[in-house]
Amino acid sequence: MNLQAKAVHTPPLGLYLHVPFCARACDFCNFYQEAPRRAELDRYLAGIERELQLRPIERPVDTVFWGGGTPSLLAAKDLERLGNAVLGALPQAPEEWTIEMAPSTVKADKLAVLRELGVNRISMGVQSFDPVLLDRLGRSHLPKQVYHAIDLIRAAGFENLNLDLIFAVPGQTLEAWEADLREALRQEPQHLSTYCLTFEEDTALWVKLQKGQTTKLSIEDESDYYTRAWEVLGEAGLPQYEISNFARPGFACRHNLNTWAMHEWLAYGPSASGQFGGRRWTNAANIDQWLEGVESGQMAEQEIVLLTAESMLADALVFGLRMNAGVDLEELQGCFGVPLPSTVAGLFRDLVEEGLMVQEGPRVALTLEGRLLADRIATAILEAL
Amino acid sequence: MSQLSRIRNFCIIAHIDHGKTTLSDRLLEATQTVELREMKAQLLDAMDLERERGITIKSHPVTLKYVNDKGEAYIFNLIDTPGHVDFSYEVSRSLAACEGALLLVDAAQGIEAQTVANANLAMALNMEIIPVINKVDLPSADVPKIQGQLEDILALPAEDAIMASAKVGKGIPEILEAIVQRIPKPRWADYGHTRVLIFDCVYDAYKGVICYVRVFSGNIKRGDKVVMMSDGTQTEIKEVGIFSPRQKPQDELFEGCVGYLVTNIKEVADIKIGDTITHAESPAEKMLPGYQEVRPMVYAGIYPIDTSDYEKLKASVAKLRLNDAAFTYASESSVALGFGFRCGFLGLLHMEIVVERIRREYDLDIISTYPSVVYHVIKSDGEKMEVQNPAYLPDPSEIEAIYEPTIKATIHFPSAHMGDVMALLMEKRAMIEDTETLDADRVMMTATMPLNEILIDFNDRLKSITKGYGSFDYDFADYQEASLVKLDILVNSDIVDAFSSIVHRDKAEARGRQLCEKLKDILPRQLFKVAIQAAIGGKVVARETLGAMRKDVTAKCYGGDITRKKKLLEKQKEGKKRMKQIGKVAIPQEAFIDILKTSN
Ligand SMILES: Nc1nc2c(ncn2[C@@H]2O[C@H](COP(=O)(O)OP(=O)(O)O)[C@@H](O)[C@H]2O)c(=O)[nH]1
Ligand code: SF4
Repeated sequence: MNLQAKAVHTPPLGLYLHVPFCARACDFCNFYQEAPRRAELDRYLAGIERELQLRPIERPVDTVFWGGGTPSLLAAKDLERLGNAVLGALPQAPEEWTIEMAPSTVKADKLAVLRELGVNRISMGVQSFDPVLLDRLGRSHLPKQVYHAIDLIRAAGFENLNLDLIFAVPGQTLEAWEADLREALRQEPQHLSTYCLTFEEDTALWVKLQKGQTTKLSIEDESDYYTRAWEVLGEAGLPQYEISNFARPGFACRHNLNTWAMHEWLAYGPSASGQFGGRRWTNAANIDQWLEGVESGQMAEQEIVLLTAESMLADALVFGLRMNAGVDLEELQGCFGVPLPSTVAGLFRDLVEEGLMVQEGPRVALTLEGRLLADRIATAILEAL
Repeated sequence: MSQLSRIRNFCIIAHIDHGKTTLSDRLLEATQTVELREMKAQLLDAMDLERERGITIKSHPVTLKYVNDKGEAYIFNLIDTPGHVDFSYEVSRSLAACEGALLLVDAAQGIEAQTVANANLAMALNMEIIPVINKVDLPSADVPKIQGQLEDILALPAEDAIMASAKVGKGIPEILEAIVQRIPKPRWADYGHTRVLIFDCVYDAYKGVICYVRVFSGNIKRGDKVVMMSDGTQTEIKEVGIFSPRQKPQDELFEGCVGYLVTNIKEVADIKIGDTITHAESPAEKMLPGYQEVRPMVYAGIYPIDTSDYEKLKASVAKLRLNDAAFTYASESSVALGFGFRCGFLGLLHMEIVVERIRREYDLDIISTYPSVVYHVIKSDGEKMEVQNPAYLPDPSEIEAIYEPTIKATIHFPSAHMGDVMALLMEKRAMIEDTETLDADRVMMTATMPLNEILIDFNDRLKSITKGYGSFDYDFADYQEASLVKLDILVNSDIVDAFSSIVHRDKAEARGRQLCEKLKDILPRQLFKVAIQAAIGGKVVARETLGAMRKDVTAKCYGGDITRKKKLLEKQKEGKKRMKQIGKVAIPQEAFIDILKTSN
């Protein structure tokens, strides 16, 4: 692969690394994951080391994101091995380094290793503080483990903590959702991510829905959950900056911001997606296939998309408009070197007229009503092109 | 030929479900018609749609051999006739090929409107009618009542009726014997020249057009040079044969026979049902009676949802036309829908069948516009024009008068529903001409009403207010002047010409309101709010607003999840492609179908 960036001015670069192991599958999750058997772990770690050599990194990486799966499932010494492999491949240490952790896996020794490596942001999958809802989601932790994990994280000196929450769970009232939000705020995180429960095909929850053993909230009801979070968190000093993300000023996740701005990021590990050198791809979502690729030097890459200036502009609009700040149209046109199609400009005028979008100078952003329709607006943008 | 006295040509007149199929099966069994199973399979395969709707669209003639007690062998030609008003001309031609008819009446249900209409048609053709009261095995059978109906409505002597149960086989020998005794031998055989009636035709990919025929006089064989008497077309006979029950080639077809023939003519459109074939060398002077040119009575636009399917649609309508001469088409374009075809149909059922066939057999997503009858318009400057597409109705200021086609309707229903039926008829602008009591609890009404009023839902409404016991039939009547206007539907100020219709002035506003309400229900919520308006001559008479959708977002977008998210968005986009984009509004295909079902 040609790692020479094609872009004229080098955009920020990210590195996403996927750790595909989970203790057990959560009922709502359709992410690629494996059971953490020792032999598999070793093959995986060796594979990552090899993959980092195969895709040398020739430019400073601004952000690193270890996602999963459950990266924190790895033992301290495995985390160390993985971290050193990454550091060894980087020209210089990243500015932001995030790891996803599950509450039940947070241990002092792991945190110490992570601090040592330079990890400076922890994202924890809390989902809810309500034991009944946690059980319904098939999560293997209890609220008290969450509190304990947060104490350990603070004690280890981490100052950038994100908590993931999930809403619109069957049986969860709007009040219960607000209670979860307030409980999360009491933990004083720098960042919160809220996800609407979706019923993904082939998950345990989806099967239950098919069998009529659980119900799904109506679209109108779901929107109440969205807006409630936006209000409560905004008032508490964690304003929304993207559809699902809220942060104290200065604590937005830079890695994700870079992705949404259609910058570049490399991908390591099975099922990781990258975008680099005018290409977008996803590594094989199967540890054997991925390893085979790594070992043979013929990476098992799938869903390869060749990016054009037009498609990048479209995606920058689609994902950029999910952010409260919106996008700077002049900057985007300059960045990708193509003009905004008149059909899109027309659509934006209509959106402004309908109160779904605001425009200030070259910058356009969705209003609250507009953000609730972000997917539909995205489809309209793709159609207008 | 002495053969003649041994031939009987007949058909079965019956309302749906009164037992025609069962009785036909019994007759086939009783005459040990070979290949019975084979034929059944073949007939069943013939057309899915026919079976689903319980109607016969094409005739299925079959030849039976009957030997009576005295050992005399007879040839029976049973012609199954189409069973719906849309095809009444075809019915009349099938009847014309016969000398007699079995009039089958369900002993529990009684005589229905369509049966009366067809029986009257048969009588007008001087056919012998043998009443058969079927299903006498049912506990609810009321034979005296049916006998009363036969006498009162059709003036048929009650004692002539045969009691039968097609299900248990009762009355079958009597029916067979009655066919011999009561139906006359083939008529008009002594006419000096060959005359052959075409009563139906089908397209065959190998042979071309296969004509179903009845030879009245003379004979016809392979190699004969013949003339189509309606327009003088000359052609040559390539093959003749009988239905036994499969097509079986013969050397010759004689007077009195029912069979098929193949000519040099390759297109169904060039064969006219009801035409008379005669020999080119010694032609007949007069055609057999009753020939009419078939003309479409209902028109509608058919458009592909995806404009790039136009060529495929074009090929499909051309293919359909090959087998259906009554279906016509011409290309047209619509502001809202792009390029498509203006299609002519015999009636609404015919239209539904064609539209359904295009969808199923050619796998095309299509939209049909609101159907229209053919209006005669006299313009202020004296010019006369025919309008079958509301879009072409001239501006009201240029119209002197509009004439619309009417029908003579016959409606049978239980007298208990008199009030509701009268109200329905009033609503449909009917002029009631006669009300006749059939028996203690049934009445028959005749009325003249605009054809336009029965296009959409008349039959369904009648059925629903009479709990299924009402039935109706009609004949086309003359054109009458009426106060008509064009009703347009605007979606966000764009006229959707596919929704335009010509309606009576007094009903236009109510209709407009109703269409707006219906559209508001059907249209999915959009990104923007949508104004739905009805207008007459540019003046808005009704308005509804479809609120914008509230939420369409998924809060789930992990880093690097771009590909996943994009896939979902692309899927949404594909879904919208199956909708018709009118201005900013995406209208799903179903809207065009559902709107047709909006009742007045
Ligand atoms: N009880 C009874 N049922 C019958 C008789 N003849 C037909 N049927 C039933 O009536 C229904 C309609 O018959 P079918 O022959 O299909 O009617 P078609 O629509 O006129 O062809 C079927 O369920 C038959 O089994 C009969 O003599 N007695
Ligand atoms: S939600 Fe996270 S922890 Fe649960 S199965 Fe999915 S990847 Fe694993």
